[in-house]
Amino acid sequence: MELNLDAFERFAVHFNKGNIIFCEYEPGDAFYLIQAGRVQISKIMGDIEKTIDILHPGEIFGEMAILEEAPRSANAICLDPVKALEFNRANFEILMRGNPQIALKLLKLFTKRIYDQRRRFMILTLEDTHAKVADVFLMLDESQSGPKPEGSERVFYTTPGDIGHWAGISPEVSRDVLNQFQTQRRIEIYTDRIVVKNINEFARFVNSRRKKSDES
Amino acid sequence: MPKAMTYKANSVIYFQGDISDRIYILKAGRVSLNSNDIETGEPVRDSIQTGEFFGVKSALGKYPREENAIALSDSHVVVFTVPEFEQLALSNTRIVMKMLNVFSNQLRRLHTKVRGLLAEGEQVDPELGLFRIGEYYMKKKEYDKALYAFQKYLTYYPSGAYHQLANKHAQQVEQYASQYGIGQGPGLPASETGEAAAASSGANGGRRSADEVPKPELGPIAKQYYNAVSSFSQGNYAEAMKQFKTIVDTSEDREYVVKSMFEIGRCLYSLERYDACIRHFTALVQRYPKMPDLDEALYYLGQSYERSGDSDRAIGFYKKILSRSGVSEALKRKVNNALRSMQGA
Repeated sequence: MELNLDAFERFAVHFNKGNIIFCEYEPGDAFYLIQAGRVQISKIMGDIEKTIDILHPGEIFGEMAILEEAPRSANAICLDPVKALEFNRANFEILMRGNPQIALKLLKLFTKRIYDQRRRFMILTLEDTHAKVADVFLMLDESQSGPKPEGSERVFYTTPGDIGHWAGISPEVSRDVLNQFQTQRRIEIYTDRIVVKNINEFARFVNSRRKKSDES
Repeated sequence: MPKAMTYKANSVIYFQGDISDRIYILKAGRVSLNSNDIETGEPVRDSIQTGEFFGVKSALGKYPREENAIALSDSHVVVFTVPEFEQLALSNTRIVMKMLNVFSNQLRRLHTKVRGLLAEGEQVDPELGLFRIGEYYMKKKEYDKALYAFQKYLTYYPSGAYHQLANKHAQQVEQYASQYGIGQGPGLPASETGEAAAASSGANGGRRSADEVPKPELGPIAKQYYNAVSSFSQGNYAEAMKQFKTIVDTSEDREYVVKSMFEIGRCLYSLERYDACIRHFTALVQRYPKMPDLDEALYYLGQSYERSGDSDRAIGFYKKILSRSGVSEALKRKVNNALRSMQGA
Protein backbone atom coordinates (compact mmCIF):
# COMPACT_ATOMS: atom_id res chain seq x y z
CA MET A 1 0.00 0.00 0.00
CA GLU A 2 1.61 3.23 -1.10
CA LEU A 3 1.04 6.02 1.37
CA ASN A 4 0.97 9.58 0.24
CA LEU A 5 1.68 11.56 3.34
CA ASP A 6 2.95 14.83 1.91
CA ALA A 7 -0.01 16.59 3.46
CA PHE A 8 1.12 15.42 6.87
CA GLU A 9 4.60 16.89 6.71
CA ARG A 10 3.65 19.27 9.48
CA PHE A 11 3.26 16.34 11.88
CA ALA A 12 6.78 15.10 11.12
CA VAL A 13 9.31 14.78 13.94
CA HIS A 14 12.99 13.91 13.64
CA PHE A 15 15.21 12.04 16.07
CA ASN A 16 18.90 11.20 16.05
CA LYS A 17 20.26 7.71 16.35
CA GLY A 18 20.21 6.65 20.00
CA ASN A 19 17.51 9.15 20.96
CA ILE A 20 14.67 8.07 23.18
CA ILE A 21 11.28 8.81 21.62
CA PHE A 22 9.54 7.93 24.84
CA CYS A 23 10.39 5.83 27.85
CA GLU A 24 8.47 3.41 29.99
CA TYR A 25 6.22 4.99 32.66
CA GLU A 26 6.25 8.35 30.90
CA PRO A 27 2.67 9.58 30.46
CA GLY A 28 1.82 9.16 26.78
CA ASP A 29 -0.36 11.36 24.63
CA ALA A 30 1.02 10.74 21.15
CA PHE A 31 1.59 7.84 18.78
CA TYR A 32 3.92 7.53 15.84
CA LEU A 33 4.10 6.28 12.28
CA ILE A 34 7.68 5.59 11.22
CA GLN A 35 8.69 7.11 7.88
CA ALA A 36 12.42 6.47 7.98
CA GLY A 37 14.79 4.57 10.25
CA ARG A 38 14.27 1.75 12.73
CA VAL A 39 12.86 1.99 16.23
CA GLN A 40 13.68 -0.44 19.00
CA ILE A 41 10.97 -1.21 21.53
CA SER A 42 12.49 -2.32 24.80
CA LYS A 43 11.63 -2.88 28.42
CA ILE A 44 13.89 -2.75 31.42
CA MET A 45 13.46 -5.83 33.54
CA GLY A 46 15.59 -5.86 36.65
CA ASP A 47 19.12 -5.33 35.48
CA ILE A 48 18.70 -5.92 31.78
CA GLU A 49 17.10 -4.10 28.92
CA LYS A 50 15.09 -6.52 26.82
CA THR A 51 14.30 -5.83 23.18
CA ILE A 52 10.66 -6.59 22.55
CA ASP A 53 10.52 -5.59 18.92
CA ILE A 54 12.31 -3.73 16.17
CA LEU A 55 10.01 -1.63 14.01
CA HIS A 56 10.53 -0.42 10.45
CA PRO A 57 9.17 2.36 8.25
CA GLY A 58 5.42 2.04 7.78
CA GLU A 59 4.88 0.66 11.26
CA ILE A 60 2.94 2.34 14.04
CA PHE A 61 3.89 2.43 17.71
CA GLY A 62 2.67 4.05 20.91
CA GLU A 63 -0.92 3.64 19.70
CA MET A 64 -2.26 2.86 23.17
CA ALA A 65 -1.94 6.56 23.88
CA ILE A 66 -5.04 7.28 21.79
CA LEU A 67 -7.08 5.07 24.04
CA GLU A 68 -6.04 6.38 27.39
CA GLU A 69 -3.36 8.57 28.78
CA ALA A 70 -1.79 5.66 30.60
CA PRO A 71 1.95 5.51 31.24
CA ARG A 72 3.97 4.01 28.38
CA SER A 73 4.55 0.31 28.78
CA ALA A 74 7.93 0.23 27.01
CA ASN A 75 10.80 2.37 25.74
CA ALA A 76 11.02 3.49 22.10
CA ILE A 77 14.61 4.15 21.04
CA CYS A 78 16.00 5.12 17.63
CA LEU A 79 18.40 2.62 16.05
CA ASP A 80 18.94 5.00 13.12
CA PRO A 81 18.13 8.62 12.46
CA VAL A 82 14.35 8.43 12.57
CA LYS A 83 11.66 10.45 10.89
CA ALA A 84 8.16 9.80 12.16
CA LEU A 85 4.73 11.38 12.01
CA GLU A 86 3.49 12.25 15.46
CA PHE A 87 -0.22 12.10 16.19
CA ASN A 88 -2.31 12.77 19.23
CA ARG A 89 -5.98 12.64 20.07
CA ALA A 90 -6.51 16.13 18.72
CA ASN A 91 -5.19 15.53 15.22
CA PHE A 92 -5.99 11.82 15.09
CA GLU A 93 -9.44 12.20 13.51
CA ILE A 94 -8.24 14.58 10.82
CA LEU A 95 -5.41 12.26 9.98
CA MET A 96 -7.58 9.17 9.81
CA ARG A 97 -10.25 10.82 7.68
CA GLY A 98 -7.66 12.01 5.20
CA ASN A 99 -5.75 8.76 5.21
CA PRO A 100 -7.81 5.62 5.20
CA GLN A 101 -4.65 3.55 4.68
CA ILE A 102 -3.34 4.56 8.05
CA ALA A 103 -6.74 4.04 9.64
CA LEU A 104 -6.82 0.55 8.19
CA LYS A 105 -3.33 -0.14 9.43
CA LEU A 106 -4.33 0.99 12.89
CA LEU A 107 -7.46 -1.16 12.71
CA LYS A 108 -5.33 -4.22 11.97
CA LEU A 109 -2.99 -3.36 14.79
CA PHE A 110 -5.97 -3.14 17.15
CA THR A 111 -7.26 -6.55 16.08
CA LYS A 112 -3.88 -7.98 16.96
CA ARG A 113 -3.75 -6.16 20.30
CA ILE A 114 -7.25 -7.31 21.16
CA TYR A 115 -6.24 -10.88 20.47
CA ASP A 116 -3.06 -10.56 22.55
CA GLN A 117 -4.91 -8.99 25.45
CA ARG A 118 -7.68 -11.59 25.35
CA ARG A 119 -5.08 -14.30 25.34
CA ARG A 120 -3.26 -12.72 28.24
CA PHE A 121 -6.52 -12.36 30.10
CA MET A 122 -7.25 -16.07 29.62
CA ILE A 123 -3.89 -16.94 31.12
CA LEU A 124 -4.46 -14.69 34.10
CA THR A 125 -7.93 -16.06 34.84
CA LEU A 126 -6.59 -19.58 35.35
CA GLU A 127 -6.48 -20.24 39.06
CA ASP A 128 -3.80 -22.90 39.05
CA THR A 129 -0.29 -21.42 38.82
CA HIS A 130 1.04 -24.46 36.96
CA ALA A 131 -1.73 -24.10 34.41
CA LYS A 132 -0.88 -20.40 33.99
CA VAL A 133 2.72 -21.22 33.19
CA ALA A 134 1.72 -24.02 30.81
CA ASP A 135 -0.72 -21.67 29.08
CA VAL A 136 2.04 -19.09 28.53
CA PHE A 137 3.85 -21.74 26.49
CA LEU A 138 0.68 -22.41 24.51
CA MET A 139 0.34 -18.68 23.82
CA LEU A 140 3.97 -18.43 22.70
CA ASP A 141 3.43 -21.46 20.47
CA GLU A 142 0.31 -19.91 18.90
CA SER A 143 2.09 -16.66 18.21
CA GLN A 144 4.93 -18.31 16.32
CA SER A 145 4.20 -17.60 12.69
CA GLY A 146 4.90 -19.96 9.85
CA PRO A 147 4.18 -23.66 9.58
CA LYS A 148 3.94 -25.62 12.81
CA PRO A 149 6.98 -27.78 13.53
CA GLU A 150 6.57 -31.55 13.25
CA GLY A 151 5.88 -33.55 16.39
CA SER A 152 4.96 -32.17 19.76
CA GLU A 153 8.30 -30.87 21.07
CA ARG A 154 8.70 -27.06 21.06
CA VAL A 155 11.67 -24.80 21.74
CA PHE A 156 11.11 -21.34 23.22
CA TYR A 157 13.86 -18.73 23.49
CA THR A 158 12.63 -17.30 26.73
CA THR A 159 13.47 -17.12 30.42
CA PRO A 160 11.67 -17.94 33.69
CA GLY A 161 11.39 -14.19 34.31
CA ASP A 162 9.59 -13.60 31.02
CA ILE A 163 7.27 -16.52 31.60
CA GLY A 164 6.47 -15.08 35.02
CA HIS A 165 5.75 -11.68 33.48
CA TRP A 166 3.17 -13.18 31.13
CA ALA A 167 1.64 -15.37 33.81
CA GLY A 168 1.38 -12.45 36.24
CA ILE A 169 3.52 -14.18 38.85
CA SER A 170 6.89 -13.28 40.33
CA PRO A 171 10.11 -14.58 38.71
CA GLU A 172 10.72 -16.69 41.83
CA VAL A 173 7.35 -18.44 41.64
CA SER A 174 7.84 -18.88 37.92
CA ARG A 175 11.21 -20.52 38.48
CA ASP A 176 9.69 -22.85 41.12
CA VAL A 177 6.94 -24.01 38.81
CA LEU A 178 9.36 -24.47 35.92
CA ASN A 179 11.70 -26.51 38.14
CA GLN A 180 8.80 -28.76 39.09
CA PHE A 181 7.93 -29.21 35.42
CA GLN A 182 11.56 -30.08 34.79
CA THR A 183 11.58 -32.66 37.58
CA GLN A 184 8.47 -34.17 35.99
CA ARG A 185 10.42 -34.24 32.69
CA ARG A 186 7.78 -32.14 30.98
CA ILE A 187 10.31 -29.43 30.10
CA GLU A 188 14.07 -28.86 29.93
CA ILE A 189 15.50 -25.52 31.04
CA TYR A 190 18.65 -24.13 29.42
CA THR A 191 20.26 -20.73 29.89
CA ASP A 192 18.87 -19.33 26.66
CA ARG A 193 15.83 -21.50 26.01
CA ILE A 194 13.18 -23.77 27.43
CA VAL A 195 12.16 -26.97 25.65
CA VAL A 196 8.60 -28.20 26.10
CA LYS A 197 8.59 -31.94 25.51
CA ASN A 198 4.93 -32.28 24.56
CA ILE A 199 2.96 -29.16 23.77
CA ASN A 200 -0.26 -31.17 23.28
CA GLU A 201 0.00 -32.53 26.79
CA PHE A 202 0.22 -28.91 28.05
CA ALA A 203 -2.86 -28.04 26.01
CA ARG A 204 -4.85 -30.88 27.58
CA PHE A 205 -3.62 -29.88 31.02
CA VAL A 206 -4.63 -26.24 30.57
CA ASN A 207 -8.02 -27.19 29.15
CA SER A 208 -8.78 -29.36 32.13
CA ARG A 209 -8.09 -26.39 34.43
CA ARG A 210 -10.12 -23.81 32.52
CA LYS A 211 -13.51 -22.77 33.88
CA LYS A 212 -16.26 -24.10 31.69
CA SER A 213 -19.92 -23.42 31.79
CA ASP A 214 -22.17 -26.50 31.91
CA GLU A 215 -23.63 -25.86 28.52
CA SER A 216 -21.22 -25.61 25.61
CA MET B 1 -16.01 -9.53 -6.04
CA PRO B 2 -17.96 -9.64 -2.78
CA LYS B 3 -20.49 -12.48 -2.95
CA ALA B 4 -24.11 -12.47 -1.82
CA MET B 5 -24.99 -15.62 0.12
CA THR B 6 -28.07 -16.97 1.84
CA TYR B 7 -28.06 -19.06 5.01
CA LYS B 8 -31.07 -21.08 6.12
CA ALA B 9 -32.41 -20.63 9.63
CA ASN B 10 -30.28 -22.48 12.23
CA SER B 11 -27.35 -23.00 9.90
CA VAL B 12 -23.80 -22.18 10.89
CA ILE B 13 -21.98 -19.40 9.04
CA TYR B 14 -18.70 -20.17 10.75
CA PHE B 15 -17.46 -22.12 13.75
CA GLN B 16 -15.39 -20.98 16.67
CA GLY B 17 -11.78 -22.00 15.98
CA ASP B 18 -12.10 -21.73 12.18
CA ILE B 19 -9.39 -19.74 10.46
CA SER B 20 -10.70 -17.80 7.50
CA ASP B 21 -10.19 -14.52 5.68
CA ARG B 22 -13.91 -13.87 5.15
CA ILE B 23 -15.70 -10.83 6.45
CA TYR B 24 -19.49 -10.65 6.44
CA ILE B 25 -22.10 -7.96 6.37
CA LEU B 26 -25.67 -8.82 7.31
CA LYS B 27 -28.16 -7.63 4.68
CA ALA B 28 -31.35 -9.21 5.99
CA GLY B 29 -32.33 -11.77 8.58
CA ARG B 30 -30.99 -12.53 12.05
CA VAL B 31 -27.50 -13.68 12.98
CA SER B 32 -26.19 -14.42 16.44
CA LEU B 33 -22.55 -14.72 17.52
CA ASN B 34 -22.33 -17.28 20.31
CA SER B 35 -19.33 -17.65 22.55
CA ASN B 36 -18.37 -18.10 26.18
CA ASP B 37 -17.34 -15.19 28.32
CA ILE B 38 -13.58 -15.35 28.80
CA GLU B 39 -13.97 -14.41 32.44
CA THR B 40 -16.87 -16.52 33.69
CA GLY B 41 -17.32 -19.14 30.99
CA GLU B 42 -20.99 -18.10 30.78
CA PRO B 43 -22.55 -18.31 27.32
CA VAL B 44 -22.71 -14.96 25.51
CA ARG B 45 -24.99 -14.22 22.55
CA ASP B 46 -24.50 -11.08 20.48
CA SER B 47 -27.07 -10.40 17.82
CA ILE B 48 -25.87 -8.72 14.67
CA GLN B 49 -27.89 -5.78 13.39
CA THR B 50 -28.79 -5.44 9.74
CA GLY B 51 -25.99 -3.53 8.04
CA GLU B 52 -23.43 -4.61 10.60
CA PHE B 53 -20.14 -6.36 9.80
CA PHE B 54 -19.06 -9.51 11.57
CA GLY B 55 -16.01 -11.76 11.50
CA VAL B 56 -13.81 -8.68 11.03
CA LYS B 57 -11.33 -9.05 13.86
CA SER B 58 -10.35 -12.66 13.33
CA ALA B 59 -10.13 -12.22 9.55
CA LEU B 60 -8.01 -9.05 9.69
CA GLY B 61 -5.92 -10.34 12.59
CA LYS B 62 -5.56 -13.81 10.98
CA TYR B 63 -6.52 -15.66 14.12
CA PRO B 64 -9.15 -18.33 14.84
CA ARG B 65 -12.80 -17.27 15.05
CA GLU B 66 -13.76 -16.53 18.62
CA GLU B 67 -17.42 -17.41 18.28
CA ASN B 68 -19.94 -19.51 16.39
CA ALA B 69 -21.92 -17.42 13.90
CA ILE B 70 -25.43 -18.84 13.58
CA ALA B 71 -28.26 -17.72 11.29
CA LEU B 72 -31.33 -17.55 13.53
CA SER B 73 -33.67 -17.02 10.59
CA ASP B 74 -33.13 -17.21 6.84
CA SER B 75 -30.40 -14.60 6.35
CA HIS B 76 -28.80 -12.77 3.48
CA VAL B 77 -25.20 -11.77 3.86
CA VAL B 78 -22.48 -10.34 1.62
CA VAL B 79 -19.11 -12.00 1.95
CA PHE B 80 -15.83 -10.10 1.48
CA THR B 81 -12.30 -11.42 1.40
CA VAL B 82 -9.79 -9.33 3.34
CA PRO B 83 -8.47 -7.58 0.18
CA GLU B 84 -12.05 -6.83 -0.89
CA PHE B 85 -12.85 -5.46 2.53
CA GLU B 86 -9.72 -3.29 2.43
CA GLN B 87 -10.78 -1.93 -0.93
CA LEU B 88 -14.14 -0.99 0.50
CA ALA B 89 -12.60 0.50 3.63
CA LEU B 90 -10.22 2.69 1.65
CA SER B 91 -13.09 4.25 -0.24
CA ASN B 92 -15.25 4.59 2.86
CA THR B 93 -13.36 5.98 5.81
CA ARG B 94 -16.53 6.16 7.86
CA ILE B 95 -16.60 2.35 8.15
CA VAL B 96 -13.04 2.22 9.40
CA MET B 97 -13.55 5.07 11.84
CA LYS B 98 -16.59 3.35 13.26
CA MET B 99 -14.71 0.10 13.67
CA LEU B 100 -11.72 1.85 15.17
CA ASN B 101 -14.08 3.23 17.75
CA VAL B 102 -15.60 -0.16 18.54
CA PHE B 103 -12.22 -1.89 18.65
CA SER B 104 -10.57 0.73 20.78
CA ASN B 105 -13.42 0.47 23.28
CA GLN B 106 -13.02 -3.29 23.41
CA LEU B 107 -9.30 -2.91 23.82
CA ARG B 108 -9.68 -0.41 26.60
CA ARG B 109 -12.07 -2.69 28.47
CA LEU B 110 -9.71 -5.63 28.07
CA HIS B 111 -6.82 -3.54 29.30
CA THR B 112 -8.68 -2.58 32.42
CA LYS B 113 -9.57 -6.21 33.06
CA VAL B 114 -6.01 -7.42 32.54
CA ARG B 115 -4.65 -4.73 34.81
CA GLY B 116 -7.15 -5.71 37.47
CA LEU B 117 -5.88 -9.26 37.40
CA LEU B 118 -2.19 -8.55 37.53
CA ALA B 119 -0.61 -9.21 40.87
CA GLU B 120 0.13 -6.10 42.89
CA GLY B 121 3.83 -6.77 42.59
CA GLU B 122 3.58 -6.48 38.81
CA GLN B 123 2.32 -2.93 39.01
CA VAL B 124 4.95 -0.31 39.56
CA ASP B 125 4.03 3.19 40.63
CA PRO B 126 4.69 5.17 37.41
CA GLU B 127 6.50 7.91 39.29
CA LEU B 128 9.01 5.51 40.82
CA GLY B 129 9.13 3.53 37.57
CA LEU B 130 10.17 6.58 35.56
CA PHE B 131 12.82 7.50 38.10
CA ARG B 132 14.21 3.96 38.01
CA ILE B 133 14.54 4.08 34.22
CA GLY B 134 16.88 7.03 34.73
CA GLU B 135 18.81 5.11 37.34
CA TYR B 136 19.09 2.09 35.08
CA TYR B 137 20.60 4.09 32.23
CA MET B 138 22.87 5.97 34.58
CA LYS B 139 24.17 2.65 35.88
CA LYS B 140 24.77 1.53 32.30
CA LYS B 141 26.53 4.85 31.57
CA GLU B 142 24.03 5.69 28.85
CA TYR B 143 24.03 9.28 30.03
CA ASP B 144 21.89 10.72 27.26
CA LYS B 145 19.09 8.26 27.95
CA ALA B 146 19.43 8.74 31.70
CA LEU B 147 19.18 12.49 31.20
CA TYR B 148 16.03 12.04 29.15
CA ALA B 149 14.35 9.97 31.87
CA PHE B 150 15.37 12.31 34.71
CA GLN B 151 14.20 15.35 32.75
CA LYS B 152 10.88 13.70 32.04
CA TYR B 153 10.60 12.85 35.70
CA LEU B 154 11.15 16.48 36.64
CA THR B 155 8.64 17.62 34.04
CA TYR B 156 5.88 15.34 35.22
CA TYR B 157 6.67 15.24 38.92
CA PRO B 158 8.19 18.65 39.65
CA SER B 159 7.51 18.14 43.33
CA GLY B 160 7.68 14.36 43.37
CA ALA B 161 9.34 12.23 46.03
CA TYR B 162 12.56 11.89 44.03
CA HIS B 163 12.75 15.31 42.45
CA GLN B 164 15.84 16.41 44.35
CA LEU B 165 17.69 13.26 43.47
CA ALA B 166 16.48 13.40 39.87
CA ASN B 167 17.77 16.94 39.65
CA LYS B 168 21.15 15.98 41.05
CA HIS B 169 21.45 12.93 38.80
CA ALA B 170 20.42 14.95 35.75
CA GLN B 171 23.24 17.42 36.36
CA GLN B 172 25.63 14.59 37.08
CA VAL B 173 24.91 12.65 33.90
CA GLU B 174 25.19 15.81 31.85
CA GLN B 175 28.59 16.43 33.33
CA TYR B 176 29.69 12.80 32.85
CA ALA B 177 28.55 12.89 29.25
CA SER B 178 30.67 15.94 28.44
CA GLN B 179 33.60 14.95 30.63
CA TYR B 180 33.92 11.25 29.81
CA GLY B 181 31.55 10.56 26.94
CA ILE B 182 28.70 8.08 26.79
CA GLY B 183 29.63 4.65 28.12
CA GLN B 184 32.95 5.90 29.50
CA GLY B 185 32.54 7.48 32.93
CA PRO B 186 31.23 6.36 36.32
CA GLY B 187 27.82 4.81 36.85
CA LEU B 188 25.31 5.35 39.62
CA PRO B 189 26.69 5.83 43.13
CA ALA B 190 25.22 2.98 45.20
CA SER B 191 24.38 5.17 48.18
CA GLU B 192 22.20 7.45 46.07
CA THR B 193 19.61 5.15 44.62
CA GLY B 194 15.92 5.94 44.81
CA GLU B 195 15.42 3.40 47.58
CA ALA B 196 18.03 5.05 49.75
CA ALA B 197 16.56 8.48 49.12
CA ALA B 198 13.02 7.38 49.81
CA ALA B 199 14.08 5.88 53.10
CA SER B 200 15.98 8.93 54.27
CA SER B 201 14.00 11.88 52.92
CA GLY B 202 10.35 10.89 53.21
CA ALA B 203 9.47 14.37 52.06
CA ASN B 204 6.27 13.37 50.40
CA GLY B 205 4.28 11.66 53.06
CA GLY B 206 2.99 8.13 53.04
CA ARG B 207 6.23 6.40 52.20
CA ARG B 208 7.55 6.03 55.73
CA SER B 209 6.23 3.80 58.41
CA ALA B 210 4.27 5.66 61.04
CA ASP B 211 6.68 5.23 63.92
CA GLU B 212 9.55 7.05 62.24
CA VAL B 213 7.62 10.12 61.18
CA PRO B 214 8.78 12.96 63.39
CA LYS B 215 6.25 15.24 65.04
CA PRO B 216 5.29 17.94 62.57
CA GLU B 217 6.30 21.44 63.57
CA LEU B 218 2.97 23.03 62.87
CA GLY B 219 3.73 26.65 63.69
CA PRO B 220 6.54 27.44 61.24
CA ILE B 221 4.96 25.45 58.40
CA ALA B 222 1.66 27.22 58.76
CA LYS B 223 3.54 30.50 58.64
CA GLN B 224 5.46 29.48 55.53
CA TYR B 225 2.22 28.42 53.96
CA TYR B 226 0.46 31.68 54.64
CA ASN B 227 3.44 33.67 53.39
CA ALA B 228 3.15 31.77 50.15
CA VAL B 229 -0.59 32.36 50.00
CA SER B 230 0.03 36.04 50.49
CA SER B 231 2.57 36.12 47.62
CA PHE B 232 -0.07 34.45 45.51
CA SER B 233 -2.75 36.92 46.43
CA GLN B 234 -0.40 39.78 45.55
CA GLY B 235 -0.01 38.28 42.09
CA ASN B 236 3.60 37.11 42.62
CA TYR B 237 2.81 33.68 41.23
CA ALA B 238 6.36 32.59 40.46
CA GLU B 239 7.51 33.55 43.93
CA ALA B 240 4.49 31.89 45.52
CA MET B 241 5.19 28.72 43.55
CA LYS B 242 8.77 28.67 44.83
CA GLN B 243 7.53 29.01 48.41
CA PHE B 244 4.94 26.26 48.00
CA LYS B 245 7.57 23.99 46.48
CA THR B 246 9.81 24.55 49.50
CA ILE B 247 6.99 23.40 51.74
CA VAL B 248 6.41 20.31 49.62
CA ASP B 249 10.13 19.51 49.68
CA THR B 250 10.86 20.08 53.30
CA SER B 251 7.69 19.65 55.28
CA GLU B 252 6.64 16.44 56.99
CA ASP B 253 3.11 17.68 57.45
CA ARG B 254 0.95 15.89 54.95
CA GLU B 255 -1.90 18.33 55.21
CA TYR B 256 0.27 21.30 54.25
CA VAL B 257 2.10 19.29 51.60
CA VAL B 258 -1.15 18.40 49.84
CA LYS B 259 -2.46 21.93 50.21
CA SER B 260 0.77 23.34 48.81
CA MET B 261 0.72 20.92 45.90
CA PHE B 262 -2.77 22.13 45.11
CA GLU B 263 -1.56 25.74 45.25
CA ILE B 264 1.36 24.95 42.92
CA GLY B 265 -1.26 23.93 40.37
CA ARG B 266 -3.06 27.24 40.84
CA CYS B 267 0.26 29.08 40.38
CA LEU B 268 0.92 27.22 37.12
CA TYR B 269 -2.57 28.15 35.97
CA SER B 270 -2.09 31.80 36.88
CA LEU B 271 1.26 31.79 35.09
CA GLU B 272 -0.69 30.54 32.05
CA ARG B 273 1.42 27.40 31.93
CA TYR B 274 -1.63 25.33 31.06
CA ASP B 275 0.15 22.17 29.92
CA ALA B 276 2.17 22.03 33.11
CA CYS B 277 -0.94 22.83 35.09
CA ILE B 278 -2.82 19.94 33.47
CA ARG B 279 0.01 17.52 34.19
CA HIS B 280 0.34 18.74 37.72
CA PHE B 281 -3.33 18.45 38.61
CA THR B 282 -3.73 15.16 36.75
CA ALA B 283 -0.93 13.65 38.80
CA LEU B 284 -2.25 15.19 41.99
CA VAL B 285 -5.79 13.95 41.47
CA GLN B 286 -4.49 10.46 40.73
CA ARG B 287 -2.33 10.47 43.79
CA TYR B 288 -4.81 11.96 46.23
CA PRO B 289 -8.23 11.04 44.88
CA LYS B 290 -9.77 11.97 48.20
CA MET B 291 -8.12 15.33 48.68
CA PRO B 292 -10.38 18.06 50.02
CA ASP B 293 -10.01 20.41 47.04
CA LEU B 294 -10.70 17.77 44.42
CA ASP B 295 -13.64 19.65 42.85
CA GLU B 296 -11.54 22.78 42.51
CA ALA B 297 -8.69 20.77 41.00
CA LEU B 298 -11.09 19.38 38.40
CA TYR B 299 -12.23 22.92 37.69
CA TYR B 300 -8.64 24.07 37.03
CA LEU B 301 -8.16 21.06 34.77
CA GLY B 302 -11.26 22.06 32.84
CA GLN B 303 -10.12 25.69 32.62
CA SER B 304 -6.63 24.69 31.48
CA TYR B 305 -8.00 22.44 28.77
CA GLU B 306 -10.39 25.18 27.70
CA ARG B 307 -7.60 27.76 27.47
CA SER B 308 -5.37 25.40 25.54
CA GLY B 309 -8.15 24.87 23.01
CA ASP B 310 -9.25 21.35 23.97
CA SER B 311 -12.92 22.12 24.53
CA ASP B 312 -14.00 18.48 24.48
CA ARG B 313 -11.93 17.64 27.48
CA ALA B 314 -12.79 20.89 29.19
CA ILE B 315 -16.47 20.07 28.87
CA GLY B 316 -15.72 16.55 30.11
CA PHE B 317 -14.22 17.92 33.31
CA TYR B 318 -16.99 20.47 33.82
CA LYS B 319 -19.65 17.80 33.46
CA LYS B 320 -17.76 15.57 35.84
CA ILE B 321 -17.82 18.28 38.50
CA LEU B 322 -21.56 18.77 38.07
CA SER B 323 -22.13 15.04 38.42
CA ARG B 324 -20.39 14.95 41.81
CA SER B 325 -22.23 15.36 45.05
CA GLY B 326 -21.41 18.00 47.62
CA VAL B 327 -20.02 20.54 45.14
CA SER B 328 -20.29 24.08 46.45
CA GLU B 329 -22.92 26.33 44.89
CA ALA B 330 -20.27 28.90 43.98
CA LEU B 331 -18.25 26.35 42.04
CA LYS B 332 -21.36 24.99 40.33
CA ARG B 333 -22.14 28.53 39.16
CA LYS B 334 -18.63 28.99 37.81
CA VAL B 335 -18.80 25.67 35.99
CA ASN B 336 -22.21 26.43 34.52
CA ASN B 337 -21.00 29.83 33.34
CA ALA B 338 -17.98 28.23 31.73
CA LEU B 339 -20.14 25.65 29.98
CA ARG B 340 -22.58 28.30 28.74
CA SER B 341 -19.87 30.54 27.37
CA MET B 342 -18.28 27.58 25.55
CA GLN B 343 -21.53 26.48 24.02
CA GLY B 344 -22.31 30.05 23.05
CA ALA B 345 -18.97 30.44 21.33
